[in-house]
Amino acid sequence: MGQDMLSTLLSAPNVETWAFYLLTTLSICLAIGVLVDRVVIRSGFILIGVFGTISGIFLLLSAQFLALAQIMIYAVGITLMVVIALMLTNPRLEREQLIVYNDDSLPPLAKLFASCKRNLNLWVAVLSFVTLYAALIGENHWPLSDQAVSQDAVQTLGEALVTNYSIPFEFASVLLLAALMGAIMLAKGEPKHKVEDGDLTIVDETKKQENNLALQR
Amino acid sequence: MFSNGDEIFKISRLTIVWLAGIFTIVWMVCWGLGIALPMLLTSQLGDKAALTNEILRAATPVIAILVFIPINAMFMVLIERRALALWTVRKGPNRVGPDGNFQTAADAVKLLLKEDITPTGADAVMHTFAPILFFAPSVFGAVPLLAAVTNNHPLFHVLNLPTGIFFVLAAGALPVVALVMAGWASNNKYSLVGGLRSAAQAISYEIPLVLSLITVCLMAGTLDLVKITEQQAGGILNWNLLGGGALTGLNNALAGGGAKALATSYFMGPISYVCAGLLVISLIISFWLYLTGACAEINRIPFDLPEAESELVSGYNTEYSGMKFAIFFLAEFTNLFVVSSITTVMFLGGGDNPIPPYILNNIPGIPQMVAAIRDSYFCSTLHIINPETFFATLWVIAKVYGLVIFAVLIRGTLPRFRIDQLMAFGWKRLIPLSLIVFIIVVFAREFVICHG
Amino acid sequence: MANLISRAFGGLNEVRRGLATVFKHTFREPITKNYPDEMPDLAPHFRGRLALTVNPETGDHLCISCKQCERVCPDKCIEITSHKSPETNKLELIDFKIDHGLCMFCGLCTEVCPTLCIINTNDFEMADYSRESLIYDLKKLTLSQDESAFYFDRKEMPLPKPKPAKPAPAAAAGAAAKPADAKPADAKPADAKPADADAKTVEVKKPEIKDDAKPEVKTEEAKADAKPEPKAETKPEAKTDEPKADEPKA
Repeated sequence: MGQDMLSTLLSAPNVETWAFYLLTTLSICLAIGVLVDRVVIRSGFILIGVFGTISGIFLLLSAQFLALAQIMIYAVGITLMVVIALMLTNPRLEREQLIVYNDDSLPPLAKLFASCKRNLNLWVAVLSFVTLYAALIGENHWPLSDQAVSQDAVQTLGEALVTNYSIPFEFASVLLLAALMGAIMLAKGEPKHKVEDGDLTIVDETKKQENNLALQR
Repeated sequence: MFSNGDEIFKISRLTIVWLAGIFTIVWMVCWGLGIALPMLLTSQLGDKAALTNEILRAATPVIAILVFIPINAMFMVLIERRALALWTVRKGPNRVGPDGNFQTAADAVKLLLKEDITPTGADAVMHTFAPILFFAPSVFGAVPLLAAVTNNHPLFHVLNLPTGIFFVLAAGALPVVALVMAGWASNNKYSLVGGLRSAAQAISYEIPLVLSLITVCLMAGTLDLVKITEQQAGGILNWNLLGGGALTGLNNALAGGGAKALATSYFMGPISYVCAGLLVISLIISFWLYLTGACAEINRIPFDLPEAESELVSGYNTEYSGMKFAIFFLAEFTNLFVVSSITTVMFLGGGDNPIPPYILNNIPGIPQMVAAIRDSYFCSTLHIINPETFFATLWVIAKVYGLVIFAVLIRGTLPRFRIDQLMAFGWKRLIPLSLIVFIIVVFAREFVICHG
Repeated sequence: MANLISRAFGGLNEVRRGLATVFKHTFREPITKNYPDEMPDLAPHFRGRLALTVNPETGDHLCISCKQCERVCPDKCIEITSHKSPETNKLELIDFKIDHGLCMFCGLCTEVCPTLCIINTNDFEMADYSRESLIYDLKKLTLSQDESAFYFDRKEMPLPKPKPAKPAPAAAAGAAAKPADAKPADAKPADAKPADADAKTVEVKKPEIKDDAKPEVKTEEAKADAKPEPKAETKPEAKTDEPKADEPKA
């Protein structure tokens, strides 16, 4: 398998093939970097690199519009994420204390369960990767089209979005709207002092303010 | 009235000489690499030179841009300082060289020779990477504009993308990352606040900016910059600034089409006239929205909060010195130039002459002049320049530098926003306005024959 | 809504007016001067470096050691040393020191001076390398006869009446110190540069100073002027014990 790949790579004079492997390697390395880096913000910036290389792969597939959309959305989106990370975490690198798990006293089965529980993220990742991979292999064929890539890909994309894929498109916009409303609700916050007689005090305060305003006038 | 004629004369002389110098140098580089050298190689080597010629042709625009950026930034810094001095009733740089014209060259040398410092506790890799990421988009983002501003010169054909303006916008979104990165990596609170501010500001103002450009794309029916420029050819009434083709019917009528041309363009009668008026107003609003958003995107006064001297020492570039600071500086001025070029191409008709051809061709002497240029030895044999490109480039230069000077005038006039005013202005005023304009254009263009 | 639109138009109009105003400056001559090349034309009452005048006609030092300026100075930067002359029973000036590093150029001392002796000159170029050299002593403060005449004329001050009695010895010493500062009368007003420089490079400057001084000063005084100069160099040390010695007398 490996030799096959190497021979095809060497035999291919195609610049695109080389570029593809280069970009893929780079993006995998950067993706690992995102996971490994302990500084949240730096890994955020590396994530931009990952999306950049992915948009490079889109470019190789002649999907210019998608590649640019990738850059435009993720560059700004991840910047926002980094900003939020900056505001919510301690940017100084503090060494996390090594947590020592002491479960010698547990019975073997429980020990296994506990370790599974600790590494839940890993298991989810592995499982989802295996599922995806199996799905892709099992499908065995991508719906390949004979049509040449149209020069005006934007028009094709737009037509597809409002004809064949209009339901997912609308669904995505509803999701975004919901997210927007949620964000507004979160940002709006709750009124102060929700105590037993809180309502009364609030009313009093507003009355006072009104009086003050009237006095000022 | 003209008690300041001396200074005005100095500035105009400086502008003309420098611009002529810049563009002669850049064009000689382009011509030498892209036309003369391949011609020479083909005559010497024959078919063997084909690959070399391909590589040379592909490399020409990039090299031309890389030559252009530093000289242009030097010129722009100088003209900005002089023009600001003129408008704030001061004397500008007047020590280095004749009339202080070598001031920026001296500054550049100083910056290059300065020690490059990485502060203690800074993230060295990110600190180095940020200026690169800031500078790179202004180089490759400007590439698709080249074909549009040179009237689709064969040298720059390659660079024309079907997604032209989207490419430029995507490139314009990247510097924000670099600014946040610079702010964070400097290990300095002022820098960090500057970076955060620039992120907030750029994201807020990108929405009206993109919406205003989308309005133009909607009128044009394409994202291709060359096509957008070509649609606007033929006088000021065809420009996107004035309705994006809504006045083309009027233009045709004036050109000799008469009432028939009016009837074909404005086929719905009075409704069409009203819609054409609405389109003109909307696109003029769109133009100003774009200029405002662009000012905020490239952090120029009155939106220079990320590097407000009086609040944050120098914002995100507080901790930078030497080469890295020079790159930040260079990229800022290049961004101003790129933004002006985008405005020129999208709204001001690119290299189009504002005087329509039916007037221009009737002025005695001008057609003969064009013909003389076309038949001269330089154009026909050496391919140094062709008249279409030459005149287009002249107009583009005039428009772009006019916008740059306008930005300087704004810098000399308006004070800096406060951060909450900035956000309120962006979210509560500009975004709704741009949405309203967008919706008006969507409906109004159905009743008039436009470019798209 | 209508309010919003009218406000928007109002705001835009303001911006337009601002731009027009700034653009009109194109046709205005710059207010800025090419400073080191052309000196600014300062108002007569510009409050620059403090100096002591002499009588422009006779060359008598005008200070009468009344210490009004020392008392009124908010920064306490003036320090006058004087003693009562046993012969005339009048105060005689020994030294007059102004720390220009402390002075805030409020001009109160000039207001209060009964003899129009202490004035604000039009000189503002006082940059120096150390704080000590900003403390000017009597020699550096006293203007020459010509300079005094220039300032009396410029500030339109009434000329002082000539002293009837013979000049006191201390005043003569003060007058002797003057020529170090002296410049030709038609030069720029009170150029501080040579005065500053001679505090540091006494040896180099000496011949030049003497050349300047000769036409105006008698030869005896020219000799005497060599004495105060080394004193100017050792000023900081000398300063500490002088007041102690003098105060009991006063």
